[in-house]
Amino acid sequence: MQKAERLLDLAALLLRASEPVSWREIQEQFPDDYGGSGEAAIRKFERDKAELLELGVPVRWVGGDEDLSAGYLVDKEDFYLPDLKLAPEDLALLYLAGSAALAQRAFPYARDLAHAMNKLSFAARAPGASEVAAVAALQLSADDAEGDARAESSARLEALSTAVAAKKRVHIVYAGAERQARTERDVEPYGLYQRGGAWFVAGFCRLRQDIRSFHLGRIVSLEVNAAAPRTPDFEVKKGFSLAELATRESWEFGVHAPVRCRVRLEGPASPEERDSFGPRASWKETDGRAVVEVMAQNQEALLRHVLSYGDRAEILAPRPLREKARKVLAALARRVS
Amino acid sequence: MTRKAAPPKADARDRLRRVLFLVPYAVRHPGVPVRDLARRCGVPEKQILEDLDFLLGVGCPPFAPDDFLDLYVEGDRVHVALHQSFSRPPRFTESEAAALAAAARALGGEGRERVVRALREAVPRDRRAIFEELLACIFAGSPPAKDSLLGRIEQAIAARRALRIRYFTATRGEESERVVHPYTLAQRLGHWYLWGHDEGRGKALPFRLDRIRECAVDEKRFEPPTDAELARGRLFSEASGPPVRLRLGPLAAAWALARPGQWRVVKRDRKGGAVVEVPGVSDEWATRFALSFGGNAEVLGPPSARRHFGEAVRRALARYPG
Repeated sequence: MQKAERLLDLAALLLRASEPVSWREIQEQFPDDYGGSGEAAIRKFERDKAELLELGVPVRWVGGDEDLSAGYLVDKEDFYLPDLKLAPEDLALLYLAGSAALAQRAFPYARDLAHAMNKLSFAARAPGASEVAAVAALQLSADDAEGDARAESSARLEALSTAVAAKKRVHIVYAGAERQARTERDVEPYGLYQRGGAWFVAGFCRLRQDIRSFHLGRIVSLEVNAAAPRTPDFEVKKGFSLAELATRESWEFGVHAPVRCRVRLEGPASPEERDSFGPRASWKETDGRAVVEVMAQNQEALLRHVLSYGDRAEILAPRPLREKARKVLAALARRVS
Repeated sequence: MTRKAAPPKADARDRLRRVLFLVPYAVRHPGVPVRDLARRCGVPEKQILEDLDFLLGVGCPPFAPDDFLDLYVEGDRVHVALHQSFSRPPRFTESEAAALAAAARALGGEGRERVVRALREAVPRDRRAIFEELLACIFAGSPPAKDSLLGRIEQAIAARRALRIRYFTATRGEESERVVHPYTLAQRLGHWYLWGHDEGRGKALPFRLDRIRECAVDEKRFEPPTDAELARGRLFSEASGPPVRLRLGPLAAAWALARPGQWRVVKRDRKGGAVVEVPGVSDEWATRFALSFGGNAEVLGPPSARRHFGEAVRRALARYPG
């Protein structure tokens, strides 16, 4: 019997049964697959059971007692997708979140997300959810077929999603931005985060013996450790917080010791400008001018951020950084004149 | 060696996942066309026909005639008699729910934690711990600052009601009142956008969420967008006018070209620098973008963009008297 067929038959058998189904009974129903005695048949069944679990079919073993015989069962309550019982505006949020994420194309577990949207159309009377899933599914398969750079990066994100979930080590070739050289490293991928429209993988880098982030677009090649796919390769280090890392500003990544920097902005700062300096910045506004203070561990990055505001912003302190800003702008002015 | 994007395999798991959706869907929509099922699953019709063939062979031991799925295809339409075992799809797997929950957290809004809780409940009991662990491994972006605004937009999209907004156009530095039929939300290059039909301009346009100054839900309802319109929303910001040309130094090129965007690389030099063209962006955007590389990039053209850049540089330099 083909595997897909066997799994579905098995699921149907267990779903229909009103009592736990004993191992012997299962063997009788699938003589060609689990027949015979010994380890091999049991191992095969256990593998199938694991696959069903991953597909959302909760197969359980229940030990017998006086009233119930021992065996396997699928708890119906625990199998069928329940109604989510959400208020219409919360459903709208879910629906929008899913469709917006799928619209980006590159999203961790994008395929699972498309499946989730299909299921959502059952779970919550969310008309349109399945439409979104359809468009996304089409897009995903089109990306597969094209084999272009976008497909490449979606595939990489998918491979990393799997590695993160299974805690499998990855081997990457990485093209650093600051240094042009390529490096090869083993990374224990802890999580994936998005920033400025790009995805990063964060994890423990064995080469640097520290937590590092890697821009997915600069991963030249990626191999997931294929050995023992169901056995984790690592434990996430205690105290690691993906959200903390993901919301760190570019000038907060440690290149040098922290330096207090001050920046002046013309006019009252808009909410998005305030946002752009991050939650740890402190602000003072006087006479229609805003002065913001941040602790920078990478002054170059802060300089780039300030320069992007053109003449709206100016570095006040420290003096060497101010001098650097002047030099950079003077050099640019010479080029354009 | 780069891992190639593998074509979808006729993998047993993929098939199973598909049919666990197909069967309840067909039960709920009697006579659903094969084409429709194929579209929803993102596979060719041929694949669906093979799946249906496969389903015909699926039963439930001991495989008496009654134990098989009562399924037939008439013309191009699929009928499945109410099937006891697969009347609804299975619960969310942990990765399905985690992906959706991560997306909801990134979108923000007042209901996001309620939504995350509901998703958790919709995962089989034994898998909920894994769901939580997985969710902590995805951070899909910081939600936009103004939650209440987003809440109103979400409601309007769901209820198909028009929005009256006051919108700040950065290129002209002015605000204008608009009536928009909100279609969907999308994230691009780190910003959230509302994609919708602008009544005044008579076409669909993207609106950056952080530039919507005021927003009220109107009584007026609108027709839902077609698939084609929604699909266009995915690729919004149609290019208009000549593309902006930029020279990127080696460092800037390494950063910029790794980001998603509609670049066309015109030239690459041996040291890693590049000349690129970006369609459909304003002079202001080009200036900001070039300056964000701290001297490692400049705007080359068209002349108006080059002028804008030069003036911005000179004005900024004036702030640092030597």
